[in-house]
Amino acid sequence: MHNTYTLITGASEGFGKSLAFECAAKKMNLILVSLPGAELNYLAAYLKRNYEVDVVPIEKDLSKEEDCIALFEVVSALQLPVNMLINNAGIGSTVSFGEGSLQLYQRQIKLNVLATTMITHLFLDTLKKNKPSYILNVGSMSCFFFLVKKQVYGGTKSYIYFFSKSLHREVKAEGIHVSVICPGGMNTNVALTLLHKSMSRLPRLSIMNPEDVAPIAINGLLKGREVIIPGKLNQFLMLLDKLLPSSIKKMITTQQMKHLKSIALPIDIEAAISLQNTVHTAK
Amino acid sequence: MKIFITGATGYVGHALALRLAQNGDCVHVLVRDPSSPHVPKHENIRVFTGDITDRSTIIQPLTECKQVFHTAALVKLWAKDPSIFYKTNVEGTRNVLDEALEQGVKKVVFTSSCGVLGPSINVPMCETDPRNTRIDNDYEFSKLLAENLVKEYCQKKGLSGVIVSLSKVYGPGIETHPFSVNRAIKNFIKGKITFIPKPASFLANYCFINDVVEGHLLAMQKGVGGEKYILGGENISYTELFQRLRSVSGAKAPVIPVPPFVFKCIASLQWLQCKVSGKEPFFTAKGVHHFFCNKALSSDKAICELGYHITPLHTGLQQTTGFLKNIEHA
Repeated sequence: MHNTYTLITGASEGFGKSLAFECAAKKMNLILVSLPGAELNYLAAYLKRNYEVDVVPIEKDLSKEEDCIALFEVVSALQLPVNMLINNAGIGSTVSFGEGSLQLYQRQIKLNVLATTMITHLFLDTLKKNKPSYILNVGSMSCFFFLVKKQVYGGTKSYIYFFSKSLHREVKAEGIHVSVICPGGMNTNVALTLLHKSMSRLPRLSIMNPEDVAPIAINGLLKGREVIIPGKLNQFLMLLDKLLPSSIKKMITTQQMKHLKSIALPIDIEAAISLQNTVHTAK
Repeated sequence: MKIFITGATGYVGHALALRLAQNGDCVHVLVRDPSSPHVPKHENIRVFTGDITDRSTIIQPLTECKQVFHTAALVKLWAKDPSIFYKTNVEGTRNVLDEALEQGVKKVVFTSSCGVLGPSINVPMCETDPRNTRIDNDYEFSKLLAENLVKEYCQKKGLSGVIVSLSKVYGPGIETHPFSVNRAIKNFIKGKITFIPKPASFLANYCFINDVVEGHLLAMQKGVGGEKYILGGENISYTELFQRLRSVSGAKAPVIPVPPFVFKCIASLQWLQCKVSGKEPFFTAKGVHHFFCNKALSSDKAICELGYHITPLHTGLQQTTGFLKNIEHA
């Protein structure tokens, strides 16, 4: 059964790395994709040695359209039968709209929206061929709450949410299952861990560790859950969302975000590179 | 040759300073308190009063030194004010590296901890392995940042720096730390009940102090700038460690495996004690999982590239128990 491959984008750090560990522990062969220079080869070698699965590292900058196509070509040339696609690579940000650079928003939209769309489209036939197949897209709790300083980020994640649910209905009959996971904040890198420490109590409680979210994600995907909300508190917030009038929700979310410093950084990829500088400024 | 050492009142730094002094090198040691009983004493050792967190105090002791061993660090699992980990371990390291660059030191060996690598899964960890869990304590995080600093100084500023990562060090030497392998061995051979994590099959790695000291010298001689070397020992389970200790020392003290919640209770009691009397806890409830995982390591890189040698655990334990019994009688 396990001669198929799981492709994970943004696999070198944070949630993607935890997903890679989780899948390897479940004896899945892996194709790991991340930015060049992110020490992906070490991760691949490590997973191979520890779990006796095949791991193929591929270095690509998926915010470039040609790299998305090149990724598909490399995988096709290697004739790896992909039956699980995890679109995890993304750039997160918490920044007031005027403060953030246009360049950041362009890259964010390209990576979060365009790359997910392109890669899913490119691999769709492969997935159909290797059914039963799975697609996991990474949304966010910010799909549901209109948080300040998360305009573009929340927008891209809402796209992911809509895209996943719609695609789910469309390709189910062809043996492809699509899930979207909507985590709250996660300690995906050192800078974010420091940022989260500075938050007030309630939002801090909703922060989860990627290694705890990864099994929830993969189990949910394999069970065929359409939307996966990890964590009891996040699930409770979703319930509140349905019950509370919008004026009260607005008050709560504004209150929560007030204390956050503006920060724009990649969720998963690039973290290793920019880490050092971010940490020093955060301190 | 003149050699500069920080952390010479620590367990490893102390042994290293004496070893270098016996070699005939002129050893400059930096200490915060020159009256400390842990200051190494030898005719080739010159003691300088200072602190790595104050760069001006390391200018003079570093003068004319060709080599630097930076072993000083704040080693504990918890501190009331966590910023001191960063002040000592990161900014202190920055001061030493800056001054070493300024004075044209040929090579720096930085002593780090295998804690930075995290737990192992099925096979022993090696230097380039990524962490499979997040760093959750300020000590390991500060050591990671310090390692990154050494690498950065090698890549961008032309420093020749080598990182050596130690596992759990044991063997004859001074006692500077209440939560050490030596202390556990001492308690066991004195007949005290010893609690170990349950299941006792978890692996840990124990390195002998003499090997570690030689490893530092080898890293200085042959280590490649910007590289990291694990200086470890044998990977062995808690059960087997105490079985071997029994056979070596003849001690019959009971060894009782206890589940995590017992350790958590102890941590909570320590926490209460801390709140009442201000006594710092050895470990915290959040840190208990550190004892309940495998920490197997591979020293193959150091063995192949540096010629590092591992003393068999049996021999090491014999020397250690002999030493600990002697200081008890003294």
